[in-house]
Amino acid sequence: MIVVGVDAGSRAIKAVLWDAECGGAAASGVVDQGVEQDALALRLLARLLADAGRTRAEVARIVATGCGRHILRFADAAMTEITCHAVGVRHVAPDANTIVEVGGQDSKLIRLDRNGVVRDFVMNDRCAAGTGRFLEMAATRLGVSLGSFGALAERCRKPAVISSMCVVFAETEIIGLLASGVAPEDIAAGIQASIAARVAGMSGRRIETPIVFTGGVALVPGMAAALEAAFRQPVSTAPEPLMTGALGAALLAARDLPDGAFRGRSSQ
Amino acid sequence: MNDGPRKITLEEWEARYTALLAAGMREPWYGGPLSRHVADGDYRLRTLYFDNSAAALRLWNFLLTEEDRLREARAQGKTIVGAMKDLGTVPVIAFSLSNVVAFYPDGAWWIPCIMELSAGLFRIADKLGVNDAFCPVRAMLGAFVNEAHFPIPDLLTCSVGATCDDFSAIAQRLEGLGHGILWWEIPRRRVPDPGEDAVLLPGGFVAPASQAAFVRSELERVRAAIETAAGTRLDDAALNAGIAAANRVRRLLAALRREAFMAERAPLPALEMLIAEMLAIHFCSDRAETEEVLQDLLAEVRTRVDARQGVLPRDAVRVFWVNPVADLRAMNLLEECGGRICGTEYLFCHALDAIPEDLAPMDALARTALADPMAGSAGDRAARICRDADAFGAEALVVSRIPGASHCASEGVIIRETVHETLRIPTVEIEVPPVCDALQQTLRTRIEALVETARARRSR
Repeated sequence: MIVVGVDAGSRAIKAVLWDAECGGAAASGVVDQGVEQDALALRLLARLLADAGRTRAEVARIVATGCGRHILRFADAAMTEITCHAVGVRHVAPDANTIVEVGGQDSKLIRLDRNGVVRDFVMNDRCAAGTGRFLEMAATRLGVSLGSFGALAERCRKPAVISSMCVVFAETEIIGLLASGVAPEDIAAGIQASIAARVAGMSGRRIETPIVFTGGVALVPGMAAALEAAFRQPVSTAPEPLMTGALGAALLAARDLPDGAFRGRSSQ
Repeated sequence: MNDGPRKITLEEWEARYTALLAAGMREPWYGGPLSRHVADGDYRLRTLYFDNSAAALRLWNFLLTEEDRLREARAQGKTIVGAMKDLGTVPVIAFSLSNVVAFYPDGAWWIPCIMELSAGLFRIADKLGVNDAFCPVRAMLGAFVNEAHFPIPDLLTCSVGATCDDFSAIAQRLEGLGHGILWWEIPRRRVPDPGEDAVLLPGGFVAPASQAAFVRSELERVRAAIETAAGTRLDDAALNAGIAAANRVRRLLAALRREAFMAERAPLPALEMLIAEMLAIHFCSDRAETEEVLQDLLAEVRTRVDARQGVLPRDAVRVFWVNPVADLRAMNLLEECGGRICGTEYLFCHALDAIPEDLAPMDALARTALADPMAGSAGDRAARICRDADAFGAEALVVSRIPGASHCASEGVIIRETVHETLRIPTVEIEVPPVCDALQQTLRTRIEALVETARARRSR
């Protein structure tokens, strides 16, 4: 029996096919986000089913998450990214107490209790400060792809100070720094530190370890180190951080199956 | 047609209205179908969900006809007092005189929402140099300039000091436009020093007696100004009667809150509860009618509670809500996300507490004004929120920020941390602009996540 988790994020749609009988992922995949989210997600699902040699008739339940979760009409249920990332991260990192998730337009700090249940969470304001959008803007300004942004930052000698949290104002600062002759790698590292400071600032006065970093921005080299510096605590990156939301959605879908059909470690 | 309690659209209200009339509903002079307000430009009504009771219809009609009442008061030669910033004290003084009507010009902050920005009030404020870095109450400036929403008051009062910085700046700009203002000061409430004479305030706070005496002296100036504007002397007997009348409204609201918030099923939607609570501070320009409106609502709530009926599912998550929202749609959204209101602190909880009737009236009013949550520390406010949220059995808490409003720019973190440490319930902070359509998905994610978190804790 197959269940599916679909994470319709702001930049990409991610899906995980979970085999509820053997308790493992049967397939997973990503497609760029677009206007026709429902159709894009359905095509991704069809592709993953074909890859796994399964049919749509074998899919027992689909849970959608991400900012487009309510648009996916084929899903049986919708859950927020907070709940799904908590379940997904706890599955791959069972001792996680704090989750930092930075995606395309949101950043979140999720606190878990000892059973893995969400105790509390904080999300970024409605502005894009501290999110992947911030990185995208900076990469564009620095003339590099998002994929090579981390490598650029790693060559930094002295991180530039980016004082504005607002994407629009920060862009103005980047233009000014470039005009002043500051090296792009120093600006890139400054941007990473700025995002990390913003995320760490959401944590309030206490942060409980272990901290696990997930979401698309966790794929950017140097971001975990920037977070460690901001939190002054070790930060580990979740395996396949882009997929933890979809994985959590799939595990939640499996949990709703009849007793005995679900095999997984998630405890939420 | 389902006549049981439920939330309906404006369109559904048409048929409901016809049915209620056919069933013998009697309306006050300001009654009529809700849809007629859309013709006046209140376009936001088309996107809201309303309670389907006759009592709720009366509440909405009462709210949306305040302008008519004020113009009628002007036509009758009554003195009109615009009580700015002060939340609930000056109107008590003003309404103690029969030929005086008070209203709350700051209430214009909801016009951009209700009229979906069509009134152009923000554009006027922008031109006056008060842009969107300020609280949406800047819409009030536009309303004073275009005179399309309320008559220009005969007397304007404004409390300053331990109040909202934004509002003080906006009111100063208003005075710069030629509208004279009687400023009165409310000091920041402090804890009495050891051995210092202290007085007990409504809400359980304590303040130095010297602060209460100072506020009394400030309010005496306001009282004198109202007397002068009205050409009538206000004696203590009339003021005591005014306080007693205000307390009747406050007791009705206390009963309404207790019944609605504690009920197993929410008997009234969050939106109507918000509108009802606001009556505590301004009486919608008619104190006597406010009592009637609230009595109707309370009777409806009691009928529903007795019948174990409600407008939301029984398992809705009990949410305590902090600060009023600039867009009323947000209250609907909470319920669409699986929550229900079980307690509120809309920045005027002191106006819901009874004014002491065993003190000299001006002393009683001074102590009530000092109990204003904005006059005290964020810690005091958070402590009261914890107490109320606990008493009402809250499972989660929302702090709703008002864009640009300086009085809540940093309070949110303090309130959330205090609630988390004291009650151990999940909290979330959101920002609601005057028209939140483009942000609904963002807001929905945050509120849904809060509801999911609270539900997960239930099953733990």
